[in-house]
Amino acid sequence: MSKIIGAVEIGTSQAKVLIGEVSETQTLSIVGMSSRANEGMRKGEILDFRNVASCVHSAIEAAEKMSGTTIDSIYLAQTGTHLQGMVLRGSANVASSDGRVTLADLQRAADEARRRQPSEGRSYVHHVRMPILLDGRPVEDPVGLIGQKVELIYWSIDGENAAIQKNLDVASSYSLDIDDLILSSVASSTIVAGQDVRRAGALVIDMGAGVTDIALYRHGNLAYTGVVSVGGDHVTGDLSMGLRVHEPYAEELKLEYGKALPDEADSGEEVWIIGNQTIGDRKVTRKAITDIIHVRIVELFEIISKELGELLDPKEMGGGVILTGGASKLPGIEVVASKVLGVPVRKGNFPVGISPEIAKPENASVLGLLHYALEDHGLPGESPKETSFLGKIGGFLGM
Amino acid sequence: MKKKPKSDLSLSAGWKSLKSKSSRRPVSRPALRKKLNFGFKFSFLAVLVITGLSALIWVAFLEKELDGDSLKFSGSSIPIKQIQFSSDGVLSHKWFARWLGPVRQKSLLDIDLKELYAELLKEEQIIGAQISRVFPAKLVVRIKERHPMLVLRLKDKTTGFKDWFVSADGSVYRGVGYSNSRISTLPSLKVSPADLKLDSTGEGFQKLVGIPYVAPLLELARRQYPDFYRDWSVISYDRPSEDDPGAHILVQSKKVGKIRFAPSGFASQLRRLRYLLTEPRFRQSQFVRSIDLSHDRSVFAKI
Repeated sequence: MSKIIGAVEIGTSQAKVLIGEVSETQTLSIVGMSSRANEGMRKGEILDFRNVASCVHSAIEAAEKMSGTTIDSIYLAQTGTHLQGMVLRGSANVASSDGRVTLADLQRAADEARRRQPSEGRSYVHHVRMPILLDGRPVEDPVGLIGQKVELIYWSIDGENAAIQKNLDVASSYSLDIDDLILSSVASSTIVAGQDVRRAGALVIDMGAGVTDIALYRHGNLAYTGVVSVGGDHVTGDLSMGLRVHEPYAEELKLEYGKALPDEADSGEEVWIIGNQTIGDRKVTRKAITDIIHVRIVELFEIISKELGELLDPKEMGGGVILTGGASKLPGIEVVASKVLGVPVRKGNFPVGISPEIAKPENASVLGLLHYALEDHGLPGESPKETSFLGKIGGFLGM
Repeated sequence: MKKKPKSDLSLSAGWKSLKSKSSRRPVSRPALRKKLNFGFKFSFLAVLVITGLSALIWVAFLEKELDGDSLKFSGSSIPIKQIQFSSDGVLSHKWFARWLGPVRQKSLLDIDLKELYAELLKEEQIIGAQISRVFPAKLVVRIKERHPMLVLRLKDKTTGFKDWFVSADGSVYRGVGYSNSRISTLPSLKVSPADLKLDSTGEGFQKLVGIPYVAPLLELARRQYPDFYRDWSVISYDRPSEDDPGAHILVQSKKVGKIRFAPSGFASQLRRLRYLLTEPRFRQSQFVRSIDLSHDRSVFAKI
């Protein structure tokens, strides 16, 4: 019997919803999709709750109509500058007499890791398991292997309670349950960076409207995540101020003439700022536009480079840097990024089989949420949880 | 599909502890629509469940009652306690009880109404019947009878004379239940042996085709001229048809030896008869040999 899963990304500029149908063979079919322009958010955080809730609910309703079904729970993407990542470690001695690791040993190590609490007013949002160490050696699945000490390492992201609560309220006020909160960058990475790329080491940069999420992978495991409070909207804002034009026109200029890498040929090309040649409309050179964009884009990658510091080691980055998100559509952005970061950069590709209408950079996060939901992120050997009877009844009622 | 574990590190300070504080109050139109939709679905489901449960309980109750003693379909088991019989004639309850035979231990459903109806109509005296069951134990029978208009006395080789009754439609039957006083007031019918034909059973007779022409005269005389009718003793007829100029009805009475009627216009003929018999000459005469009323306005009489 197939199952319906929902993914929601409450982005700064748009709320996106995908509804997927997962067959018994774990094949995912996207049956519903919708997006609504979002107002009331800034840098990935909700400022006007009612407005945001209305946009998100409208998008969910449209996706439900498209799919002909209802969802009772969702995977919700998380972003925002309030999010911080840290490493949590826990270890346990192997208890069995023959020295073979059991699931109970892993559970004890996990308990050890959970002792560390986030600071006051913050809660954990997402825990991504890093390699399991058995006597200091990384192993995929230690259960059944002989050793003395098992060690669990998690990359754990915590955030401000108030910001998380608002996201939860958006879902709960539409009578939706939350299956899991997933970091936007982790979700994006799941879809644009395959397992082999992550194993080779890669940096995924998801350039949204309000913020840019980054996720660094080493040896197939998440090594670092971060959120930079610069996004596509900042580029638009720069154009608005630099060219003294309203933001909607600046957004149009960015989308139509914007490039991340200035070109000398742009000096000779003049474009109308508004485009209708009415009073107030005037011409600027395209180079003026690209220069403004270039400065901001360079600044963004410099911030990322600074934040990652030594982690951005070209030797450990066999998979290179992968750009995704709506703002990554700027022509030449990968060249700029490569110059600043000093590692090969490319734009993210989507797996074969996803419809071209959906496989767009701005949909990477929400697509990644569905993809992430299909993967097993539990402890090795741990049995999956079953849906309760009441949960099934709730599902029937569409609540 | 197997549900994936969300995170293998459900810390006490995780976001799930915030989830319980979330409000489910709808804050947007789509959310309100969903809530209302849920309310409708819930109500529908509730009604469905309640209806289903009620039906189950009712069925269970019925089954229990049917198995137990408290509910009985008495008609199938209670013997008939009362027979209500009525007739527009002379047949009595006693006659019916004798005719039907013992019904002891028979229930209403043991009685085949169609068969009973058919058997009743086999009786020559009965022309209609209405039979119904009144549960729990009452049988209601209503009978419509033939009424005798004439008596036909026939001589049988073995048993001597036998009286048959003739009704207004010409049926000839062996009636039962008529009192002697009633029989004595009925005129006798004198009929030609050629007109009397046996029926298919060989035990009865076919309808007498001339009687329907005679019956209106007798009925009119009985109602309006009872003093005449009382005296009429023998009735006969010949070719009684309105189209036949020779057709006539002969009445023999104590006062008049032979009164001849035409087969139509009985009212005027009877008026003329009354007028004639009130004439002084006829009143003074003890016996009139014949009166012929069958010639329109003319009357022929022999004193």
